[in-house]
Amino acid sequence: MLEIKDLHKRFGDVVALDGVSLSAKPGEVVGFVGANGAGKTTTMRIAMGVLASDSGEIVYNGTPLGSKQRQRFGYMPSERGLYPKMKVGEQIAYFGELHGLDKAAAKRSTADLLEQLNLTDRIGDNVQDLSLGNQQRVQLAVSLVHDPEALILDEPFSGLDPIAVDVMGTALKDRAAAGAPVIFSSHQLDLIERLCDSVVIIGAGKIIAAGGVEDLKAREVKELRIRVETIEDLTDALPGTVTRDGDDYLVEDGDSQEALRIAAAAGRVTHFAYDQPTIAEIFREAVTR
Amino acid sequence: MSAQTPETPRLRGLMLVAGREIRVRGLAKANLISMAITVLIVGVLAALPAILSGGDDTTAIGIAGSESTAMQQQLEAIGDYDVTVYGSAAEAERAVQDEDVDAAVADGKLYSQDGVGNEEQTVLESVWQSAAVETSLTEAGLDAAQIQDALSVAPLESVTFEQAGGAENDPTAYFTGLIISILIFFMLMMPVQYIAMGVVEEKSSRIVEILLTSLKPWQLLGGKVIGLGVISAVNLIAIVAVGLGVSAATGMLPELPPGTTSAALSTLGWWVLAFALYGTLAGGIGSLVSRQEDAGSVLAPLTTTLTIAYVGSIFILNAPGSLFAEILSIVPPFSAIAMPTRIAIQEVPAWQVVLAVGLLAVAAAGALALGATLYKRSVLHTGSRLKLMEALRKAA
Ligand SMILES: Nc1ncnc2c1ncn2[C@@H]1O[C@H](COP(=O)(O)OP(=O)(O)O)[C@@H](O)[C@H]1O
Ligand SMILES: [Mg+2]
Repeated sequence: MLEIKDLHKRFGDVVALDGVSLSAKPGEVVGFVGANGAGKTTTMRIAMGVLASDSGEIVYNGTPLGSKQRQRFGYMPSERGLYPKMKVGEQIAYFGELHGLDKAAAKRSTADLLEQLNLTDRIGDNVQDLSLGNQQRVQLAVSLVHDPEALILDEPFSGLDPIAVDVMGTALKDRAAAGAPVIFSSHQLDLIERLCDSVVIIGAGKIIAAGGVEDLKAREVKELRIRVETIEDLTDALPGTVTRDGDDYLVEDGDSQEALRIAAAAGRVTHFAYDQPTIAEIFREAVTR
Repeated sequence: MSAQTPETPRLRGLMLVAGREIRVRGLAKANLISMAITVLIVGVLAALPAILSGGDDTTAIGIAGSESTAMQQQLEAIGDYDVTVYGSAAEAERAVQDEDVDAAVADGKLYSQDGVGNEEQTVLESVWQSAAVETSLTEAGLDAAQIQDALSVAPLESVTFEQAGGAENDPTAYFTGLIISILIFFMLMMPVQYIAMGVVEEKSSRIVEILLTSLKPWQLLGGKVIGLGVISAVNLIAIVAVGLGVSAATGMLPELPPGTTSAALSTLGWWVLAFALYGTLAGGIGSLVSRQEDAGSVLAPLTTTLTIAYVGSIFILNAPGSLFAEILSIVPPFSAIAMPTRIAIQEVPAWQVVLAVGLLAVAAAGALALGATLYKRSVLHTGSRLKLMEALRKAA
């Protein structure tokens, strides 16, 4: 269990973090969402120990996270970086060794990852000679080479081509399935919706919403959507505030059972359910609140 | 979940970083080529004296006439002369004209194509004179022992009143001092710039952020300094070894001043201390900027200091007895070049050497702390150039 507890951080007069807490259980994929400048990167940097917080702590499996454990984490910083004049294979293996693998294991893991990423034939090329998309794949390999036991990824999907997005998504799910807590930030809310078990929304240095994806959706219930095969117009007949969305009726603040009775009397009901908001809508709702 | 991956112990991290520098920078084509060229130049320079003197430094001398036997004995005793005795002065003269011999002495005449060198002139002159004296003494009825006695005169003993003046005019010592100052200067200047460039590279490419999740700043900086130190040391040793090796092979080595080896070793020692000082400072200062273009200007104080130390050392070679020489060779960081240079040309009081080493070691330790602190505080700062004072004031 990885817990980020009550972080505070100021840069001069700018309050970047004002009591940020979030956590990821083993095997849980947590999406970290927020507008630009909300504090995602700052939070993740502090969690990875490259930035000091003013207060707050990072707890891993019940004890404060030390550098020894942190070494087994996988990290992708928001500003990507590789040695431009170092060979792809050498570079990935070097990071494997820095993270504690022995030479042979680092080599093996590098070969495996390059295979997965379709980069095996580029193993001897300098990183700077690769296309940007391929450099991103190398970056991904660097963060996964030591088979990390927890992942903190800052916008891992930005700049990735669709194939790399799939590889990255699969990698996240694999790590999580193996029991690793995973936290990643992204602006691609459809990806968050697809990959995450829970979502944390940050706004101006504060957590403004957090919870399981299903819980959040259920909490923000919207209108009742009714589709019924009839030539009659039920707008006035249905209870509450009724609006049309194409052929559908959207019922707000009305008694659902009465609405069902009226609809069924008019014709065959083919759809009768509460609309669920997308994560995007929840996010928009949360930040404007 | 593979929770059993071993932690990277401190030294392992340091060595991994150093190893990467050596692999990527030291074994880079550019470095290997420049090293090969330097070594080649040094080798040719070392072989030059032998090539210029034609390789064969014995002089062929023809002798004829009255004092032949005595002269032959004396010349062969001196060595370096290939003596041929001719039956007559005319034969000897012809041998010179045919260039069978370089010069000939016969009946009080010195034959040569276009005169002989100063040294030869003196030798032949004195040999001729003593042979003539010997002949007259024999004719006067003295026996061999008496002649020996009469001719053996002790050489002049030199007595001087200025104390340390002697070495100043010794061209070999001057040359040794010059070589030492040049070597130390370049073997500091080059890696210092490479260290700063490497630090800036990691900063500008932002890779430092991932590096710092598994390494401490001191490991990253220390590994870089050690790596480039090893590369430079290998360069230095290759140059010195090729220089000395070629000199030995061409027969120049026995003529090198005694203590060349110990001078080479102590030069290495001075360099190690100086490198610790300049190397870590370069890393710390380099971390103040984020762009490669700014590296040169931010390093300027350091490279200027190095240049002053070097130019000052050249001055010391010309005025080793001056107060300036004493001060520059004791005060760090100038002493790093100035003292080994001064030692090469002059007998330096032991207390001054010990003081210089002590001060340099203390300064190196200080630089280590300062460089590491600067580095730690500014390596993750991006964007504008960080002011030195800002970095020092900044909380870690
Ligand atoms: N090194 C820094 N110096 C000064 N201000 C910073 C620094 N890093 C971040 N900030 C500020 O902190 C706030 C949070 O930034 P950040 O964590 O990067 O947000 P996000 O990653 O969510 O876009 C922003 O107002 C940003 O300007
Ligand atoms: Mg960010």
